[in-house]
Amino acid sequence: DRLYFCVTLCREGTRLRIIGDRSRLPVSVQKTARDAEEATRNNSRLHLVLAISYSGRMDIVQACRKLAQKVDAKLLRPEDIDESLFADELQTSCAADEASSSCPDLLIRTSGELRLSNFLLWQSAYSELFFTDTLWPDFGEAQYLQALRAFQSRDRRFGARKNNAAL
Amino acid sequence: MSLPSMIIKLTLGLLWCIIHLAISLLSLCSHLIFNLECSLISSGLLWKYRNLQLGRLKYLAIVVDSREAKNTVKINQLLYWLKTLGVKYVCLYDIDGVLKKLFAPGMNGSRDNNPGDYLDASANIKALDCCQKQMTIECISGSDGKEGIAKAANLLCSSYLNGDSYTQENVKSEENVKSEENVENEPVFTETDMASALKSIGCAGPEPDLLLVYGPARCHLGFPTWRLRYTEIMHMGPLKSMKYGAIVKAFHNYSKKHQNYGK
Repeated sequence: DRLYFCVTLCREGTRLRIIGDRSRLPVSVQKTARDAEEATRNNSRLHLVLAISYSGRMDIVQACRKLAQKVDAKLLRPEDIDESLFADELQTSCAADEASSSCPDLLIRTSGELRLSNFLLWQSAYSELFFTDTLWPDFGEAQYLQALRAFQSRDRRFGARKNNAAL
Repeated sequence: MSLPSMIIKLTLGLLWCIIHLAISLLSLCSHLIFNLECSLISSGLLWKYRNLQLGRLKYLAIVVDSREAKNTVKINQLLYWLKTLGVKYVCLYDIDGVLKKLFAPGMNGSRDNNPGDYLDASANIKALDCCQKQMTIECISGSDGKEGIAKAANLLCSSYLNGDSYTQENVKSEENVKSEENVENEPVFTETDMASALKSIGCAGPEPDLLLVYGPARCHLGFPTWRLRYTEIMHMGPLKSMKYGAIVKAFHNYSKKHQNYGK
């Protein structure tokens, strides 16, 4: 199954990255994740980021830790920390490359729930939120088109404010 | 262009128009039904909306698009409706701080209610009295959102640099087992530390149970991310066409929700 999964990803040109607290996963799963990321490292057709054992709050906290390490190493000063620097330390930023942004334009939540449930709290600030009653196994092309239609009809300013640019 | 291809092109164009018209009609009918339902709710004719159970709704947040937040008449009307419905704590947010300026003259600190436990002296709170139903209003803006998190990180890093210690955790993973030295020197902030830092800089607050979004975009426009973990989010449309019945319906739908709160 693991081999089939990696082969499928490679055939589709998909680059896999996994974010979340891997320390809470079984060691065998950690190894599988690492192997899959390594095997798909050079793919570029689609970037697939899987959030497993992921918490939006912990993402923010671990970004703080990384910044504190940089401060400790004299790579930056505490007063230099701003939104941009902070965003660069989030797990999704590490998973994004130069060609893509770590903030989703569209966030789809299935199963009829109307909340983020601790997912991408920072990154979803200006994301179009689409909530559907359809359960995930039944989510298909029709539901995806509905989400796209809702997205394209919105007037989006991406958090542009009078003085600051959106991050 | 040959005749058959012209016919095909016209036929496809006609089909597109018919489909577009059908979808527009469906959308119009849906809109009319919604307006009718809101009117019936407002008039009290729909039985199931008569007795709202707001026991679970302790903290309500309202996100307003800054362009629409300047409509003070609508904002005051909205607050009046919320007061009559029995809402005790409302957090108003718009990214540009229009609402903060709107309520700034009347702001005073309130430490009488429980929400005051979350806030320090710099928080913008106002207690409104109307018809013996006091409602606490908190006004925040984009500076309390991502900027607040960045400032809290600044504070945590400064404290760490000054030698303040934080709770040590045993981070068990293959990577960290290989380099124990790194684990010992690694700053280990926790969610509690971040929450305390946010409180120190005046960006703390209760997590809203329900967040109503007024505006053209179905997004929370940078509402403080730390407080949005398990908040129900409902898009209410433009502020200028807000309806009392729509708010009642949103509250009713919220009262029927079941949350595990991450457990």
